[in-house]
Amino acid sequence: MKKILCGAVAAVMAVSMMAGCGDSGNSSSKNESSSGSDAKTTSLVYGSGADPRGLDTALVDDNESAKATMQIYECLLKYKEDSTEVEPCLAESWDISEDGLTYTFKLRQGVKFHDGTDFNAEAVKFNVDRQTVNKTDDMPYADFVFGTVSECKVVDDYTVEIVLKQKNTAFLANMAMCFGAPMVSPTACEKNGGSLLENPVGTGPYKFVSWSKDDRVVLERYDDYWGEKGKCDQIIIKTIPDASAKINALTTGEVDIIDGIDTTMVDQLNSDSNISVDLTDGMNINYMAYNTTRLDKETRVALSQAVNVDELVDSLYDGYASKATTILPSFLPGYSDKVTQVAYDPDAAKETLAGKGVTEVKVITYSNDRPYNTATGKTLAEAIIGYFEKVGVKADVSTFDWTTYKDKIIAGDYDVCFYGWNGDNGDPDNFLNLLSDDDPSMNVARFDDEKFNEYITTGIATVAGEERNKIYAEAEQYVADEAAWLPISHQQNITACRTNIKGFKYHPTATVYLAKVEKN
Amino acid sequence: MSNVKQVSVLAEETVKIEKPESQIKIMWDALKKNKAALFGLIVILILVFVAFFGDLIAPFSATETNMADAKQGMSIEHWFGTDMQGRDIFSRILSGTKYSLLIGIAAVAFSLVIGTVLGSVAGYFGGKIDAVIMRIMDIMLAIPSILLAITLMAAFGQGLDKAIVAIGVVSIPEFARIVRSSIMSAKENDYVAAAKVLGNSNARIIFRHILPNVVSSIVVRATLGISTAILDIAALGFLGLGVKPPTPEWGTMLGDAKSYIMSLPHMIIFPGIVISLAVLAFNLFGDGLRDALDPKSRS
Repeated sequence: MKKILCGAVAAVMAVSMMAGCGDSGNSSSKNESSSGSDAKTTSLVYGSGADPRGLDTALVDDNESAKATMQIYECLLKYKEDSTEVEPCLAESWDISEDGLTYTFKLRQGVKFHDGTDFNAEAVKFNVDRQTVNKTDDMPYADFVFGTVSECKVVDDYTVEIVLKQKNTAFLANMAMCFGAPMVSPTACEKNGGSLLENPVGTGPYKFVSWSKDDRVVLERYDDYWGEKGKCDQIIIKTIPDASAKINALTTGEVDIIDGIDTTMVDQLNSDSNISVDLTDGMNINYMAYNTTRLDKETRVALSQAVNVDELVDSLYDGYASKATTILPSFLPGYSDKVTQVAYDPDAAKETLAGKGVTEVKVITYSNDRPYNTATGKTLAEAIIGYFEKVGVKADVSTFDWTTYKDKIIAGDYDVCFYGWNGDNGDPDNFLNLLSDDDPSMNVARFDDEKFNEYITTGIATVAGEERNKIYAEAEQYVADEAAWLPISHQQNITACRTNIKGFKYHPTATVYLAKVEKN
Repeated sequence: MSNVKQVSVLAEETVKIEKPESQIKIMWDALKKNKAALFGLIVILILVFVAFFGDLIAPFSATETNMADAKQGMSIEHWFGTDMQGRDIFSRILSGTKYSLLIGIAAVAFSLVIGTVLGSVAGYFGGKIDAVIMRIMDIMLAIPSILLAITLMAAFGQGLDKAIVAIGVVSIPEFARIVRSSIMSAKENDYVAAAKVLGNSNARIIFRHILPNVVSSIVVRATLGISTAILDIAALGFLGLGVKPPTPEWGTMLGDAKSYIMSLPHMIIFPGIVISLAVLAFNLFGDGLRDALDPKSRS
């Protein structure tokens, strides 16, 4: 009898699922009064798709962590509200020497960390040294941000000099990044054995209160903040891993802001008068990579010819992602509209692949959604292998959760894999360097090409401007002809907030700065 | 009143003695009266038919993608709509029937064979062998079955054959326990003692003399086991651990559609209904079978 019950429960579940879809749109109104009444302390609740890995910016590399840390910490510089141009933050001004190797920063005076200690040149030196001379293996962004630094010198209490080994045009942009660059309190860091993963102390507009794992991070306004103080008394970053639960939480008013919304949900959210949906161009690239150590150029080109990227992007992303014609998003320096990818030509693909005897490829993909691919890696892979099958190539697809997937990428047993990149600092090197990196978890195509590497080393040392842009445009055309990747799309960032929230903006770097957000 | 009833029962029994019926005929008569079990049987027969001929009657290919037709709702052309890759959901459900049934039946067969051997050995010999085998079974039972299946799938990787083994392994203990207890009571019978005296080997005694007498309880358990296995494979598929894409397995279809439950509900409703229906059918039929095979519940 127990078994019958089991079956009955399953049936009831199926029915309730159907019922659930019908009335979800108008369930929001009843919670309206309850969320509006507690006006004494305003707490802004942000629904995030995953728990932070940790709250020490030197030790993590996930955007979920950055949602909390970018309210707690600040960098020497910061990005403008809707671009990756830098402006003063903890450094009031800066000078670059003639040879482009010495950066002198004048620091803001009177800034205090949340633990009451002073922010000064010594603190900057501590932070830079932490990720250069004292670097440990668990600092994923240390090399990216500070890799070219040879020395950090304290000139006086509020002047600091950073000397580079080689020219790095992206260095200033790196100084505003949400990973690696934020300044942590040296006192707190030493007191906690060199890790602030669970008790972050910075100079930002909000200070850390508590973190209940897999539930929420609570922050409160830092009243001694040097700049414009935070608008809300409290910020809660709530972890809601399930996509539909996250949407529900927003419609019922349990959370105020959510991000990473699937494209198919936009119409429904738009129809709710208490919610406004915001679309911004994403600084990202969603791509398929060939393992260049296993597939030769002809095979790669043929497989790319098999895929109708236009049709694919249109139907998978409902117009909320644009087809990628190059690796760089159109608003980054170095983007060129003249770059052309391998064109769709299934007949030619069929002929080449049959001629070369390619009948099966090993494909790996991720099961979840990513900021650059809201449709999930699995859905994308299934669509692409559909195209492969049409040109006579069978695909053996394995799907893994994101953490396992990264291990599989490093292990390297695949012909084709799916990946993406979310830009950190708005510099073209940040994207194109992926194809010259030695680390296989970055360079998933395992592309190692002398000519391309040369483009990258010249590019990073060239002063920003026409000449530099030309180098990157050439590099892009070169790698497009080599067909190391099949660039697929640039996803728009889809966020939504309740209409009583004012001033929320999703930054192109996929981080959020919540100090200016108001809740009425 | 009660006297009258007793008399009539007695009368019926006398009739039966006069005209002995085959075991199957008796079972079928009992089953026929059970409407729910009959319903289950009909659904199972339909499922078996679809499993064999599903690909032939399906209006579209179950695996061929057609991005231009993606995410369509219900229509005359696509009865259950299309999925993210433009594949016809109705055709995928028809084609997927064979995977759910195959995995269900094969997994049960796997655990039935191994469970029966282990249970027979444990029950017949007793003592230390029994203790060792049954403690291992207890350890396996201590781990929630779906958790154990997930662990096995994570170790083996995705695939049809691996799913069969993973789901088969987790239901071994149930069969082992049922067979063991049936054997323990059966081995005390005189005919077993007689077989021993005649010098039959242990294996012959177990398989020729004891097992045939416990087969009915195994059959009932196996039928109910199929429904559990179908549910398990759906659960694995839902979690993304089942068969490899683009295999149209029901649970995988459900899992792929779960993000679109609000916006494209047709993608999740139909696989959900079919899974519920299949599980219900095997449960109802299994329960009916148990009642029919159990002389005590036959009135």
